[in-house]
Amino acid sequence: MTGQVLAFDGIGQDFATPGSGGRIRVLDGISFDAEPGQFVAVIGPSGCGKSTLLQMAAGLLMPTRGNVKHHGRTIDSVNQAVGFVPQQAQLFPWKTLQENVELPLVLRSVPAEQRRAQVAKAIEAVGLKGFENYYPNQLSGGMQKRGSIARTLVYRPDVILMDEPFGALDAQTRMVMQNDLQTLSAEAGATVIFVTHDITEAVVLADRVVILSQRPSRLLANIAIDLPRPRDVFEPFKNPGFEQAYDAVWSVFRSQIDIRGAH
Amino acid sequence: MNDAASVDAAPAARKWSRRFAALGQFGISLLPGIVLLVFWQWASGRLIKEIYVSKPTAIAARLYELFASGEIIPHLITTGQELVLGYVIGVAGGVIGGYALGRSPRLARIFEPYVMAFYGIPKIALAPLFIIWFGIGIGSKVALASIMVFFLVFYNVFSGVRSVDRELVNLTLVMGANQRQLTWHVYLPAASPYIILGMRMAIPYSVIGVIVGEFTSSIQGLGLFIHEASSTYDPAGVFAGIILLLGFVLIANFLAGRLERRLLRWKNPTTQPPSDI
Repeated sequence: MTGQVLAFDGIGQDFATPGSGGRIRVLDGISFDAEPGQFVAVIGPSGCGKSTLLQMAAGLLMPTRGNVKHHGRTIDSVNQAVGFVPQQAQLFPWKTLQENVELPLVLRSVPAEQRRAQVAKAIEAVGLKGFENYYPNQLSGGMQKRGSIARTLVYRPDVILMDEPFGALDAQTRMVMQNDLQTLSAEAGATVIFVTHDITEAVVLADRVVILSQRPSRLLANIAIDLPRPRDVFEPFKNPGFEQAYDAVWSVFRSQIDIRGAH
Repeated sequence: MNDAASVDAAPAARKWSRRFAALGQFGISLLPGIVLLVFWQWASGRLIKEIYVSKPTAIAARLYELFASGEIIPHLITTGQELVLGYVIGVAGGVIGGYALGRSPRLARIFEPYVMAFYGIPKIALAPLFIIWFGIGIGSKVALASIMVFFLVFYNVFSGVRSVDRELVNLTLVMGANQRQLTWHVYLPAASPYIILGMRMAIPYSVIGVIVGEFTSSIQGLGLFIHEASSTYDPAGVFAGIILLLGFVLIANFLAGRLERRLLRWKNPTTQPPSDI
């Protein structure tokens, strides 16, 4: 099993249903893994437990069955070796952008001088130079998202978990962010697990697309996307081979959507 | 990004016009107060007997006399000490207790019903008990003031800490935080608006605690002074005492306001937000 940065092995998860005392099965035997530097997109219908997988990789939730391994080590407590980019930017409103991006380094007791250099680099990388002393509520949604990504890149985790990071952004900002993410993740060389419900986004960004079914979720397919990089995120259908890749994903995914449409 | 730069360009001129406007606003807000004072002065002795309401000039004269003779100074010092001590102890207890119960659901399950029960007791009813326990000196007043302050601050801090976004906490843990770092970087700043709110609300309650304590039984203090003035039919003295109490509250509010602006400046930043990406 060497060569895998992150491995999900037979993951099952039950949640207690409120009130009735019963249990509901959310994830049912999910296995896939990610190689170093790979960009893995996880798609599935809403409520299928995609985000739950990320919580497990971050060690915030222990699976009912199976386990997640990070560099071969089973994750059994908060995994501080990964980075997490949540759905909302979740910058600390009481800290300036500079202080926000600096926090992970402060928490890790990085010396002040080194902190300054790394923070400046991360802020510049996401294009927010000049906004260091702004508070989050002075920044637009897209800028906050950039701040959130800078705050993760700054401590150079080898795995970055992203939970529908661009879901709340408007269409234009979203494409710009996708384009930047493509560059940034390649530069950082980090393995990315990217949860989304947008097939186009998944296909245009990822090296592999993992498709989950409706609850109780099983792994429907794990499809490699061998499109050349860099890819054009603004006009995804113009990428050579995109259509076939999209079709491969869609032909699996459509069954999940048809079921919902029938009701 | 040009938008952000142009914000800093014209502040000097705007600053003065803003100050002028603020001054005008202040003048207008003084007006009702002046009208009230003039009416009071006029009505006293005409509409209502002076023995009931005194009059502003008499109160001013009385205040001057009290300070000139130094008669009021020991009362001020005693009440000031009681207020400061009662407030500080109450706030400290409230913050620590509220924080501990807010962070630990287990502690909260055990102790919350008790705190609720004690919260229901009218604290003023405890005054005679505190006199027995702590004597008629400043101890009983400090105890009464601090217990009134405690509950207000406690509840605000407790709900503030409990309302901290779980996702933000988890995110900070993944970033590398230990429990102590969580306290300083997440829980306390997130709860700070609630803490400040509790502190502001508690100011008048600390005064109530101290004055009720002094009314009940005391050797010295503004409460005693007011009590004695009323029992000798000296309304100017009563009003003078009340004005001094008001002075305490205004000073405390001013200090709390400065603390609030300092700690919560992130909520209302002064610069304009840039337009977009």
